[in-house]
Amino acid sequence: MTRIEAIVRPSTFEPVKEALREIGVEGMTVSEVRGHGRQKGHTEVYRGREYSVDFLPKIMIEMILPDNLVEPVVQAILRTAKTGKIGDGKIFISQVQDAIRIRNEERGESAL
Amino acid sequence: MKASSPIPHPILTGSTLREWYGAELARISGKFDRSGNGSATASARAALLDQVIGKIHGALLSSSPSLDQGLCIAAIGGYGRRALFPQSDVDLLLLCENGAAEKRLRPSFTAISQALWDLPVRVSPATRTLDECGRFNSENAEFTISLLDCRPLAGDLKLFGRLHDQVIPKMVAREQRDLLRMLHQLVRERHAKHGNTIFGLEPNIKDSPGGLRDYAVARSLALVSWMGAQRAWAEPESLWPAELREQCLLAFDFLAAARCFLHYRCQRDDNSMTYESQDEAASRAIGLGDKQPISAADWMRHYFRKARSIDRLTNLLIEESVPEQSSLYATFEGRRTRLSNADFQVAREQIFLANPSALADRAFLLRPFEFMARHGLSLSGEAQRQIEHRVADAAGELTLSADIWTSFRQILLLPGAAPALRAMHACGLLVALLPEFKVIDALVTRDFYHRYTVDEHSFMTVENLHRLRRPGEDWEQKYREILDELEQPELLFFALLLHDVGKGMAGDNHVQGSLQAARQVLARLALPSVQAETVLFLIANHLEMSRTLQRRDIFNPEEIRSFSRRVGAPERLKMLCLFTYADIRSVNPEALTPWKAEMLWQLYAATENHLNRAVDEERFHAAGAGEQQLKAVSAILPGNIAEEEIAAFLEGFPERYLASHSPEEIATHLQMSRRLAQEPFQIEPAHDRDRFTLTLLTRDRPRLLATTVGTLYGWGMSIVKAEAFASTAGIALDTFHFIDLFRTLELNPSERERFRQSLIQTLSGQQSLEAVLAKRSPGSFAATSKIDIPTQIRFDDTCSSLSSVLELVAADRPGLLYQVASLLSELGCNIEVALIDTEGPKAIDVFYLTAQGLKLDPAREEAIEKALLSRIG
Repeated sequence: MTRIEAIVRPSTFEPVKEALREIGVEGMTVSEVRGHGRQKGHTEVYRGREYSVDFLPKIMIEMILPDNLVEPVVQAILRTAKTGKIGDGKIFISQVQDAIRIRNEERGESAL
Repeated sequence: MKASSPIPHPILTGSTLREWYGAELARISGKFDRSGNGSATASARAALLDQVIGKIHGALLSSSPSLDQGLCIAAIGGYGRRALFPQSDVDLLLLCENGAAEKRLRPSFTAISQALWDLPVRVSPATRTLDECGRFNSENAEFTISLLDCRPLAGDLKLFGRLHDQVIPKMVAREQRDLLRMLHQLVRERHAKHGNTIFGLEPNIKDSPGGLRDYAVARSLALVSWMGAQRAWAEPESLWPAELREQCLLAFDFLAAARCFLHYRCQRDDNSMTYESQDEAASRAIGLGDKQPISAADWMRHYFRKARSIDRLTNLLIEESVPEQSSLYATFEGRRTRLSNADFQVAREQIFLANPSALADRAFLLRPFEFMARHGLSLSGEAQRQIEHRVADAAGELTLSADIWTSFRQILLLPGAAPALRAMHACGLLVALLPEFKVIDALVTRDFYHRYTVDEHSFMTVENLHRLRRPGEDWEQKYREILDELEQPELLFFALLLHDVGKGMAGDNHVQGSLQAARQVLARLALPSVQAETVLFLIANHLEMSRTLQRRDIFNPEEIRSFSRRVGAPERLKMLCLFTYADIRSVNPEALTPWKAEMLWQLYAATENHLNRAVDEERFHAAGAGEQQLKAVSAILPGNIAEEEIAAFLEGFPERYLASHSPEEIATHLQMSRRLAQEPFQIEPAHDRDRFTLTLLTRDRPRLLATTVGTLYGWGMSIVKAEAFASTAGIALDTFHFIDLFRTLELNPSERERFRQSLIQTLSGQQSLEAVLAKRSPGSFAATSKIDIPTQIRFDDTCSSLSSVLELVAADRPGLLYQVASLLSELGCNIEVALIDTEGPKAIDVFYLTAQGLKLDPAREEAIEKALLSRIG
């Protein structure tokens, strides 16, 4: 089982979600986050006051998947979340030790 | 003598009673399936338990004849009210004469409880002596309150008589204040647990506000108030206000049916109306007379209407039963009573009408609500009833029109606007004023997101905007500042009230429905077209900002540009931003996260900046996007003015000019331009409330702005807002909004013409500006603000391809604009566009500058900065 964390622009979230649903991913956890990579943001001036736009709003999507879905999911995210500009986001992949469904204590991939 | 255990009777140990009880329960359940009558079902179960307890008592008595000496079995709480729902616990009182009797009867009590548990009946027995019943213990207030519903079942009726006729009335009279206080507290705590609203996605029909528990509380409140004064019993429902009584009795029947349905469905005392339960209740038409299946949304609409009645009754009875408080409160209350005037008496935070016959005057009808909104009070039950009667009598005559718009507008602007609107709706007045609103009464949007019915959502949007003015989170402060800057906030509030009316109309697109309704309303109000257009713009575009947030990259300048074109002008942007804030915030309490609010504000700030910094990039051109605007203006002008002439007039004006003026205003400006040959300086003054407006249309020339603002300053006018544009044809169109500091024009109408002439003379050179300025005393240029606002000067050469943009922020003072404009002229700059604004004590000015038709070079910019800092500090 593999964990995928994808950090994407808020404006690409709906297309990403649709694409994931189309390839059969039903379960995901979504968070509203702020962050930056090398993009770092900038300072804006509004009516004489400076405000920093350094931590930019993003959406984080977390999924735990059977291994065979990992590459299709990565491709779906790349296809829908990429604009080619700085700030498109990142995908992180890691291994998961186990998964347990609380309702019936089922374990392993069948708990996903 | 030691107490002996009673000899077990077959009825208590055999299966006969159990089987009989089970059969009777099944019969009652079957009857509910057929009839759907919850009240009858609850009453039938109570009657069944009466029989069961009678049989058990009879069995015990036969084996222990002295049982009834000093024992009475009574029903209390819901059982006492004969409202015993299928899975509810059975509240029993085992009453004894005294401690000795209690000790003697203990084995019997155990036998009774055991027999009932074996059936099985979930019994909650309370064993008390007479004395114990007469004492009020705030730790166990629920028991005392349950005694108010006591009813004898078996045993020593004389003992029960003493409890009922002496002990309880005496206790209530003595403890009335604490009992009422405890009731209020219990209601407050319970309501707080359920979000203080009747609106829940899956309400608890027993404990939520407006539920069955509140119904029981309403009975208790009425009875305690009555008994405390009269020392006598009464049927609690008969003590309620007549109009609400009928509604609440019907509401009880509906909720009783719903609760029976839930108990039979879940086979436990679970009172949550889950989504699935709502679907099934709707398909079975639970609680509805005609048994026709309806949609879950419609069923929930019935529920919310019923809950609203009970909630209203409970709140009313709570207000009317406020016990006497401490002297500190009495002092505060005295101050509130001093709010009373010739029209309204105020007592205990409630408004009473001093002269109810005044309601016959249409204009007076809104006054109690304005008073309520201004002072944060509520209407007394008496005032509500009087207004309801008046509204019912005058149906059809009360539609909101121009003559009472001023009062209605005033209510919208007051801090208590939302409670006032709710009260108006409860009295039927809001629908009488705005019949279009009726379609969204208690209308449910059935999804996991929308918490409130559509009408309540609309009230919440108004409430959430007014809430911005209270201290809150840091991120709310930014929105509060935008709200404070609005020139006509009533238009925003009015648009919020109407924006979802379309959801109650047929059709997929509720925005179109809301627009149609709004147009009808606005036609009756006969508002100036620019105001009506603003309301319609807000309704038409109320989803655009949140759509942009969701689907567009708000940090992409192209997306900002596109959004700016849609919005057009800063005032509309402010309103749309606040509209979006309020709309999202009022979907459910968690909908507007700080993350989302921050993004919304970023979109607002980026768009506002773009609107101010890209003015001269986006100009009107007749061919292309300008065609629609051309037709709108053309439609208003007399037929002898050709479209070509209109196009030539508009050509090259910034889009901002067209976005911030109505077609009527643009038509007026065109007419002014046609008269330039006769009168080279066209001046159109106007006066609205505390502001004067002056529109100047003339051929563009050097020092035009400096001369105009200098003249205004010389006459003691303080400019709060201005826009200066020029077209390709060389027409300058400058609009100034100013305050008459010395009330010269306000108090001396004849001076208005002299002022106009003075302006013409300085502009034409017939009079020197210095002569006009000489009238102002020296030192007038000093900043008057007590707040230290450092001067900030910022040049931007990237946002416009044609001009250098200068942004100036400084402490506002009369004459500031004259100083800046004249200095810019002295340093060889031409002001292509000027956008002048104030934010409280702060002046925020944007100038688009060229020198010899080109952007400024760095050296000139540096010189300007130095000179400005030197001159204005």
